[in-house]
Amino acid sequence: MPAQVYLDYQSSKPVDPRVVDAMRPWFTERFGNPSSLHLDGDEATDALERSRERVAQFIGANKDELIFTSGATESNNLAIIGYVTRNRKRGDHIVIAESEHISVHNIAKAIEKQGFKVSKVGVDQYGRVSVEKLRKKIIDTTILVSIGWASSEIGTVQPMQEIADVLHGKGIALHSDAVAAEGLVPIDVRKVPVDLLTLSANDIYGPKGLGALYIRRNVNIAPIMPGGGQERGLRSGSEDMPGIVGMAAAADIMASEMPAEVLRLAHYRDRLIEGVLGRIPKSHLNGHPRERLPNNAHFRFDAIEGESLLLSLKDKGIAVSTGSACSSKTLEPSHTLISCGLLHEEAHGSLEFTFGRWSRPSDADRVLEVLPGIVERLRSLSPLYEKEAMA
Amino acid sequence: MKSTSYSEKTLDHFRNPRNVGALDGPDVAVGKVGNPVCGDLMYMYIRVSDDRIVDIKFQTFGCGSAVATSSMTTELVKGMTLDEAMKVTRNDVADALDGLPPIKMHCSNLAADALHDAIKSWRAGRRGETPEPPKAGEVRSSCGLPAAKPPAIEGAEALLGKGVYRRVEDPKAFVDKRVLIVDRGKPSVDVALDLTKHTGRVIFMSSTKEPSSKDDPRTPLKRSDVKVIYEAELIAVLGEGEVEKVRVHDLNENEDYELYIDAVVILE
Repeated sequence: MPAQVYLDYQSSKPVDPRVVDAMRPWFTERFGNPSSLHLDGDEATDALERSRERVAQFIGANKDELIFTSGATESNNLAIIGYVTRNRKRGDHIVIAESEHISVHNIAKAIEKQGFKVSKVGVDQYGRVSVEKLRKKIIDTTILVSIGWASSEIGTVQPMQEIADVLHGKGIALHSDAVAAEGLVPIDVRKVPVDLLTLSANDIYGPKGLGALYIRRNVNIAPIMPGGGQERGLRSGSEDMPGIVGMAAAADIMASEMPAEVLRLAHYRDRLIEGVLGRIPKSHLNGHPRERLPNNAHFRFDAIEGESLLLSLKDKGIAVSTGSACSSKTLEPSHTLISCGLLHEEAHGSLEFTFGRWSRPSDADRVLEVLPGIVERLRSLSPLYEKEAMA
Repeated sequence: MKSTSYSEKTLDHFRNPRNVGALDGPDVAVGKVGNPVCGDLMYMYIRVSDDRIVDIKFQTFGCGSAVATSSMTTELVKGMTLDEAMKVTRNDVADALDGLPPIKMHCSNLAADALHDAIKSWRAGRRGETPEPPKAGEVRSSCGLPAAKPPAIEGAEALLGKGVYRRVEDPKAFVDKRVLIVDRGKPSVDVALDLTKHTGRVIFMSSTKEPSSKDDPRTPLKRSDVKVIYEAELIAVLGEGEVEKVRVHDLNENEDYELYIDAVVILE
């Protein structure tokens, strides 16, 4: 488990050792293919279907409403591309939120090239979708709305119930990428009637390379990858049994530990937010002050750049993320931050802390010990820093 | 290679930058490159005696390599003649740091440009002054959309009453909204200051430079919660049926960028 002060759980989580134990036999002793008709195959089929039931249960779904995929990216592609392809006769228009992760924007771009039309609904300064604005984006040809349950970056949780209410009875499907929210906020598809829901195993301390897509009964999608017809023909390819068993084990553990874990993480988060805003002048919280993930604290600091902050924290053995363009592959600032109305220079000064299962109470204290000095040092180098204005 | 895969030497200059600060006096010239919009802004100050750089200091806002290249440049050229210093290239700076990640070679390796800008200022007789912003085209732009500059604010009329305001009668209409106020002198400053009582996000945009006089009507903004953008012009208000975002022209960089906003106040 993390030895340093690891506050980047949104980027990657360790696999829970209990999950690894559950997975282990499926690499060596139980190597059967669920499609085989012999005993080894039967054993795998049983485990596959039991795992499906347990993951489905985690979100209040039936077991015939869930298929396994290679992760959230595949689930999002299958949900959006698969849905619009299958339902093209009914319309050619979809709506996504401006604040979505870049991966959803890129899927939208890909279907635009196939002739579909995409509208983007704006968010407020905290990154929340306005239901009124969403209503205005819906037209006669709208067939799908895709809005992430929560932002993995700024931590804002979307009003999913209200969003589902807006679409109710209109024959418009609702897809939600729930990877940032799973294990942190309750998700029950019986209460919030989403039609398609993306899950990832690693986000609940399961293995990487494994995800799931919930598909409500009577919602039809087309496969995006032709092949042997596994997973009801929607996701071909031999099932990754160790991964699937691991995701089910992770879901079971999360279901029983989540209530206490969420309270503990929220306590660390609040201690960090209070400390940073109280001790560092000209520091701001990004994302919603209340409707936010219990493990997420996201800040920006005037007159400094995020990569410099990240490197300085790295030197102190603290792992974090930044939305600054300077540390991204494309040199573009985070689109989520820009969609909240931040200027590029403000997005550059952002820093994200995310707590997780192995976070310790001392982690927030360690950040509060070193961060004020780091901010002060970097401001002393910066021509944008003005002492009188900062005072 | 990752954008933060820095050499030990680069990290050393980031952790312990040499020659940080500013210089002043009649024998000092200043060079500037970059723009906070792009994530990098550098000032390079040179003190010149007998055509030689006798002292040099820098101030930099930017990522690790922006700080390290600034620091290294000051070390490389201190004591050089102006002609010698003009020949120092970005590659020389990167080489002296044992290389930079390829993606950082252009965006944040601007220190040599800032140095050359300072030497040009000196030779043009701009000495003992505050830094002149680089003219458009003189410094290579590193980010933003291609610039286009129509004369009027496109879309402002069409969205009047749908997020565009000519006057502010009821500040409560702006509660929790992101508001952009275009500089129209003191009345617009008063509106901006007043609106901070009703919403957490008030942006004031002026096409002029940041005022240096205490008597300027915009000076009180500095101590307020208003976010001020100088040297920028509003060129378009965008949205389907209501204001969703604006396009801004950055006069300093001659580039355009978009800003997500809920309301725009352009006083009559």
